[in-house]
Amino acid sequence: MNFKQPLWQNLFRPKDDRISEVTEMWMSTPLFEKIPRKECRELVKTMHPRHYKKGEKIFSSGEIGASVVLIRSGGVEIIAAEKLLAELCPADFFGEVALILDEPRTADAIATEESELIFFLRSDLEEWVKRSPRSGAQFMLNIAVVLAARLRHTNILLSLQNS
Amino acid sequence: MIQLFFNHPLGRTITVFSLICTSILLLAILLSPILVPLILSFALYAILEPLSEALERQGFSRSASSLTVLLLLVSIATMIISVLLPHLATQLSTLQSQLPGVWQSMMSMGNELFNSLGIDISTSSITQHFFTQANDWGSTAVIQGSNILISLTVFLIFVPIITFFLVRDYHSFRNYMLDKLPNSNFEMGWLIYHRVAHQLQEYIRGIMIQSSIMCVMTSIGFYIIGLDSPFLLGATAGVLNLIPYVGPLLATVLPILMAVSEVPIELWLIGSAISVILIAQIIDSMIVIPSVIANAVNLHPLIVIMGIIVFGNLFGFIGMVIATPTLSTANIIYRGLYQGIKTRCDLKIEHTTEN
Repeated sequence: MNFKQPLWQNLFRPKDDRISEVTEMWMSTPLFEKIPRKECRELVKTMHPRHYKKGEKIFSSGEIGASVVLIRSGGVEIIAAEKLLAELCPADFFGEVALILDEPRTADAIATEESELIFFLRSDLEEWVKRSPRSGAQFMLNIAVVLAARLRHTNILLSLQNS
Repeated sequence: MIQLFFNHPLGRTITVFSLICTSILLLAILLSPILVPLILSFALYAILEPLSEALERQGFSRSASSLTVLLLLVSIATMIISVLLPHLATQLSTLQSQLPGVWQSMMSMGNELFNSLGIDISTSSITQHFFTQANDWGSTAVIQGSNILISLTVFLIFVPIITFFLVRDYHSFRNYMLDKLPNSNFEMGWLIYHRVAHQLQEYIRGIMIQSSIMCVMTSIGFYIIGLDSPFLLGATAGVLNLIPYVGPLLATVLPILMAVSEVPIELWLIGSAISVILIAQIIDSMIVIPSVIANAVNLHPLIVIMGIIVFGNLFGFIGMVIATPTLSTANIIYRGLYQGIKTRCDLKIEHTTEN
């Protein structure tokens, strides 16, 4: 009898090697700084991997956002007002504002090649915060740090443009 | 013309919304034999999910927390079967035996009233026919009530099992289903689902707490004033409270009839029964509803009442109970779809204009 594929196994359970790899990727981002690896791993199991073709739109400016996205493989361009803001590669993340605000996205995101993206939804974050308030609070603090850094960067760019 | 309809955000929303409603209706027809236990299990899941989450926070695994919740549910079910249900059944049979007395008492009251007004219609065939008919309806309602109690016993066995699997696997199953959405609608689908789930959970938890409080308050009240079958009448008031607006009105009928059935007629008992219901309703409206189900349903009262009548006509008592959450869900889905489709259409128009 093959016990590796038991009859009553959970058919919806994601495979372990992908979870380990994605956990390591998230742990290397500032969003998961000081969050226990075990917690991050549990959270990764609830995240949503999706595949995009080259040139496919991930989201558009004006659409309501609901998640932060991690690039597992491939590449993504962030474009706002027809200007290229960033070219992102594996282990980069984008769209983190949507975890905090129920507001429309401010830029377009387009896959530059065949890409696998991991979506971490606001609803999953809310459930996690209820389940693990301590780690949830740390995660919120990390988001605040990331957003503050982005704001600071934008301010510097603006002041440079003005001067 | 048709092209114009499908290009307009409203036309598209109506089309997609109609397709979703049709699919849900077909699914409901397919699942009709187990629909009631399923609805009950989902209601219990909405109540027990926070408990399961709390256990997980204490370090329990998902399976262990689900099993603990199941054991708790089975304990409560066993307690209901062994303690409350026989007691309620006894009270129900007492009520059934008292019904002829109730109608008899009402007939004498009517005769006295008409005699005092100088009208002699005590032997009127119309009055006789009305009271005979009312007696038949009352007896049928009591027999149906007994059948409901039997079905409830069967549900008490199956519902905990379905609830256990919902608590343990619902999240995984939901993720599996929603991940099937196309990339372009993935985030919008999740947003709509999350809003629907949040509002439904709030409503179910709120209405269950409200009904339990109503049941306890009226039972104690009826017991204090010395009305027969106080716990059955309290339980009926609690269950009827699941139906917004109409339920509380229906809940007043049975206690008043019970008070009227006392021979000789005691006016203070009728007044006390009405007072108990009124006080319970005032506490419910002023304290319970604002704190437990405020904003859980953003629907106009007229729409809710019309929905209750239509659903009640189509699906009976269960239809009346599920009318409000169903309408609320439909409202959120429609608004979410319209918002998403309109944004897409606006972006498309902007893009075309720029080109």
